[in-house]
Amino acid sequence: MAEQEKLTENEKRGIVAINVDLSCDLKCESCERFFKCKNPEKLKIFDRRRMARARETMAGIKHKIAVCAGKGGVGKSTVTVNLTTALAMRGRKVAILDQDLDGPCVPRMLDVLDRRLSMGRKGIIPVEGLLGINVVSMSLIRDEEDTTTWFHELRRNATEEFIAHVEYGKLDYLLIDLPPGTSSDAVNIMEYIPDLDGMVIVTNPTAVSQIVARRATLMAIEGGVNVLGVVENMSGFVCPGCGEVEYVMMKGGGEALAEELEIPFLGRIPLDPAISKNSDTGKPYVHSFPDSVPAKVTSGIVDQIEKMVGWEK
Amino acid sequence: MSELLDINVELSCTGKCEGCEKYFECALPIKDQLLLQTRMQKARKALDRIKHKIISVGGKGGVGKTLCAANIATALAMKGRKVGVLDQVFDGPCIPRMLGVEGKGMEYTEEGLIPTEGVAGIKVASMGLILEEDEVITWFHEMKRNATEELICHVLWGDLDYLVVDVPAGTSSDTVNVIQYIPEMDGSTVVTIPSEVSQAVAYKAIVLLQKAKVPIFGVFENQAAFTCGKCGLQTDILQSGGGEIIAKKTDVPFIGSIPLDRRVAECADAGVPVVYKYPDSEAAKIFVKGADLIEERCKMA
Repeated sequence: MAEQEKLTENEKRGIVAINVDLSCDLKCESCERFFKCKNPEKLKIFDRRRMARARETMAGIKHKIAVCAGKGGVGKSTVTVNLTTALAMRGRKVAILDQDLDGPCVPRMLDVLDRRLSMGRKGIIPVEGLLGINVVSMSLIRDEEDTTTWFHELRRNATEEFIAHVEYGKLDYLLIDLPPGTSSDAVNIMEYIPDLDGMVIVTNPTAVSQIVARRATLMAIEGGVNVLGVVENMSGFVCPGCGEVEYVMMKGGGEALAEELEIPFLGRIPLDPAISKNSDTGKPYVHSFPDSVPAKVTSGIVDQIEKMVGWEK
Repeated sequence: MSELLDINVELSCTGKCEGCEKYFECALPIKDQLLLQTRMQKARKALDRIKHKIISVGGKGGVGKTLCAANIATALAMKGRKVGVLDQVFDGPCIPRMLGVEGKGMEYTEEGLIPTEGVAGIKVASMGLILEEDEVITWFHEMKRNATEELICHVLWGDLDYLVVDVPAGTSSDTVNVIQYIPEMDGSTVVTIPSEVSQAVAYKAIVLLQKAKVPIFGVFENQAAFTCGKCGLQTDILQSGGGEIIAKKTDVPFIGSIPLDRRVAECADAGVPVVYKYPDSEAAKIFVKGADLIEERCKMA
């Protein structure tokens, strides 16, 4: 009883401190100024409201990495799925969280589309795919063709559900595939997983994609997230007829971005018809074609990531 | 162990139609009235002098929505039409770059925002012309809605034959906001790439448009076969036929396949649409075909 009273007293004190900012409504978890706010109490308030459970779930996972691009269709999901598979091929225990609520693609790429998430005693039980990879995705709940229009609060609830209420168990890595954009979803993840090991930025070589990836990178930096580096996807195509390399989508956008923002450049993944075909049939190329150029580049990227997060068995 | 049927989110009615995610599914007879009363009048007035409004949708990101919007607008402008482009992408607007107005800004007057003129006299309104290059704003739902309203209600378009609207990836807030604000949308074009993953998302976009009763003029397939410049060999890098499949499945016309061609990307980066710079290319021909179809459907031809 005495302890409860003490807690209430603490809470009162917190509120007094916050009232300095007149426009503040104390709802840190839905505030667009969360990262800019200088109020020393903000993390505590946020914690108290929603974070305890998320933290508990995330505590069992050694390394958490988000994959972000800002722009759509540059290969976030393909890269995430193959990085995850490459880690699993090294014997790591991994899970992949598909944070794209509007157009989730991960289940198809890992051939678990016909499976369903189930409810265990402590929360949602992920679906197990290739090499024991745990998969969590909205399209494992709803039909792939079901169109739900998600608004901000719904997205936040779904995010919380997938972070706090999933039985991930003990894992070496959790990779999070973020949807396009630099708004709600990306920020939700950054709030719910404050100890994110880092973010991988994916872009295609065009200047147009670079503009958007740049914003995504700046957002991560502003949110205090460690940017692990930039991957340039869809970079060059080798003609199977004559071997000529054509940079169908230009070249160098990813490298230029890395150089400008002084972050590591992780590698250049070429266009390859086998990538798309195998993505659609649920076979990640690092597993089906381990000797291909895309697989070798991806494996090199994994080497760099493991070094950066300080992987130890 | 029981199967998880749905995620537990609160979906009860608040009476605020303009912020409701179930707007199109809702069967309440007064919903249209509620919405009209609250926010539509301004939008109606601002868009009064625009003959036709078209939206470019893809569902999936990076499939070429903006590319199609920019090229269709240019193709229509090349036919002598007065065209405006409204960029509803707030996180990473690309229209200014593709239409050669990047960095030009937008002027404000007391009456409203003045769109900036780009290639072929196209009038452009975009958040990218307002934000600084390094500015990253994290937009939340209500802010986006306000920005949508700002760009729909307070831009001085003047007399236009066509307004082409570009929306971001996804089938949520942004797309729905635009469809709600512009209820007399003449129609839409849907873009997909050939792969199956993209088709699944494009299908959702088509369902959303059909629920909202927006006519679909047709489907473009982007990033189709690549022809080697050296030996002429054709390769389906991202597979083939996806656009046609989705068109058939949803009973919507298929406009054509835009091949993977370095010139398309080059032109987008350089700010001169491919339909303008290389009118004889295969890509340009498909965009012109799309523009012809729009003219026919809008009875302008």
